[in-house]
Amino acid sequence: MADFIQLFINGLALGSVYALAAIGFVIVYSATGVVNFAAGQFVMFGTFAGVAMLANAGLPWPVGYAAALLAMAAFGALFFIVVYLPLRTSPVVTVIIGTVAVGIVMQNAALLGFGSWPFRLVSPLEGITIDIGGAAISAHAAMVVVVTGLLVGLIWLLFYRTALGIGMRAVAQDVEAARLMGLNVNRLLALSWMLAAVLAGIAGLLLGPMWFADVNMGDPIALKAFAATIIGGFGSLPGAIAGGLFVGLTELLGASYLSSAYKDLIAFAVMILFLLVRPQGVFGERIQDRG
Amino acid sequence: MTMTRQGFLRLVLAASVAPVGAGLALAQQGDILVGATVPITGPLSLTGKQYHNALQLAEQDINAAGGVNGRKIKIVFEDTQASNSTAVNAFMKLAQETKPAFYFLSSYSTQNLATSPELKKIAVPAMYAGGADIVAEGGNEWLFRVRPADAVSARGMVEAAKLLNAKKPGIIFIQNDFGQGGAQIAAKQFEAAGTPVVGMEAYGQNDKDFSAQMISLRGKGADVILLFNYPQDGALLLRQAKMLGLKMPLVTSSAALVPAALQLISPADLDNVWGVVDAYMDPSVGGRMAEFVARYKKAFGIDPDPYGLAYYDGALIMAEGMRKVGLDPKALRDWLVNLRDWPGIGHVYTFDAKGNGVSDLAIVKARSGTKTLELVKAVKLD
Repeated sequence: MADFIQLFINGLALGSVYALAAIGFVIVYSATGVVNFAAGQFVMFGTFAGVAMLANAGLPWPVGYAAALLAMAAFGALFFIVVYLPLRTSPVVTVIIGTVAVGIVMQNAALLGFGSWPFRLVSPLEGITIDIGGAAISAHAAMVVVVTGLLVGLIWLLFYRTALGIGMRAVAQDVEAARLMGLNVNRLLALSWMLAAVLAGIAGLLLGPMWFADVNMGDPIALKAFAATIIGGFGSLPGAIAGGLFVGLTELLGASYLSSAYKDLIAFAVMILFLLVRPQGVFGERIQDRG
Repeated sequence: MTMTRQGFLRLVLAASVAPVGAGLALAQQGDILVGATVPITGPLSLTGKQYHNALQLAEQDINAAGGVNGRKIKIVFEDTQASNSTAVNAFMKLAQETKPAFYFLSSYSTQNLATSPELKKIAVPAMYAGGADIVAEGGNEWLFRVRPADAVSARGMVEAAKLLNAKKPGIIFIQNDFGQGGAQIAAKQFEAAGTPVVGMEAYGQNDKDFSAQMISLRGKGADVILLFNYPQDGALLLRQAKMLGLKMPLVTSSAALVPAALQLISPADLDNVWGVVDAYMDPSVGGRMAEFVARYKKAFGIDPDPYGLAYYDGALIMAEGMRKVGLDPKALRDWLVNLRDWPGIGHVYTFDAKGNGVSDLAIVKARSGTKTLELVKAVKLD
């Protein structure tokens, strides 16, 4: 039982990171109709923002984390201005290819800036373990689950209890109608990109101590976040959360109880099954046609 | 002064041909080109940079010592990144454009397996440091290995597990020719010793979480776990083992103990960790080892690792061969085949019929509370 608890919580922690990356994916897709193939590199940038602020600049934890997230918000705004705005009247495929290209640029920029050697990003809870039912749980893994839960609650409050969030949802549903209603559409779209970047940044900061900060870490995250989004339902926030947790748990429980050699196969086989049988995912897509 | 039409044409012809003749003369008198396909960027560069550096150091040293019978050598590098197809393209670029007299290939067996058929076609000798036995078993008479084969490493790791009194060993391996090959050899060794493995768990090269594999082996009662890994995932395995609270000793393959991997982990992560290294690079032994470590560190600002040392030794062997038998590929290959007891810094090299030049390694463990490796036992295998 202790082994199961340990695997379950580690799976939840890993799934939480996938869920955060998937939420960023969904926010951008819902608001702009763009599938951001640079999403994995956003998470990688988040981790390296942490390396820059905490390890390189030597800032204390709260200041370093805040500075890293501010940098990510600024990066989201920059992405909106430099990549999305010039391409927004282009066909969606052009924008998607643009995100792929920018993802490659981001990876190479990180390579130039930080080199190919990985970095160790230390957790504020480094070395602390918690005993749950006889299972030794890393305090950092537990923190990842708790932080993700809090963030999901805050995102729900933002989207359903604030004028800003309701405006963002309005833009996601129908850009023209939102503009006619007097909403500043560009500002709200920029905020969507900034929010996605900040969530990716949080995912990166949480992931850094679990993995190493590595310029190649973005691709596997993007793949898992993509699988999570397909399984949960493209465009659905609850779907992104459920999908992320499902992929994380499947990865660890499948590897332990079925086969470690085919652990990725299990998650991706489920994704393919969904594409064949229920392409809208578990939670479906709330917005069928954008205005 | 007037010039006839015939005279003018002769002058043009002479002017056209002269640079070609001069070029040929220069090529004959110029540097000896040596090709090196090395993972300089990407995740495999953790060890790749080591032999990228070491080969440059060897080039300097060979040329400072008079080169090869008065001619300097020049090593031309191509980046293999972390891809087998890129490794083949890098090799083909060298073969078609540079046409080197000798090659150094990657230390990654999967890349060398992909490149080996092309090397066989062009028939030029090459040295490599990948461990997978399948590379040497492929029957390519142009390949020469300058570090222990995985069979040797696996036997060394089993020896370490025996020293730790393992009764229920478990194995975690990276899912490629290196990891699978090493794990299977170790499993057979344990079986023969009457202590069969309780479980073998695999992971992919891009995997970042190994808790399922480690918890599974712990659940099966493993009292020692052998790890066949690359540097980055090896460091992550050691770190996650401590995060999971694993108490049993871990025995790692050499990649997790190179300086590039050690800088990613803390002394606590190395608690109760043993491993094998190709060569025990302790400068306190003095002599050429101390000199090499000091010069390498001064030149590149980092500690050298056994991979770098293997390529440095390999380059010096190559230069001696060229001095003795020239650049003819077959003569150079035959010289290497017959090489016996060549005293390198890391090993004493003797190539067997399959091109394996090294049959010794060292079992080490971290000194308590530090990342300093101390020698447990030097192992020489047949």
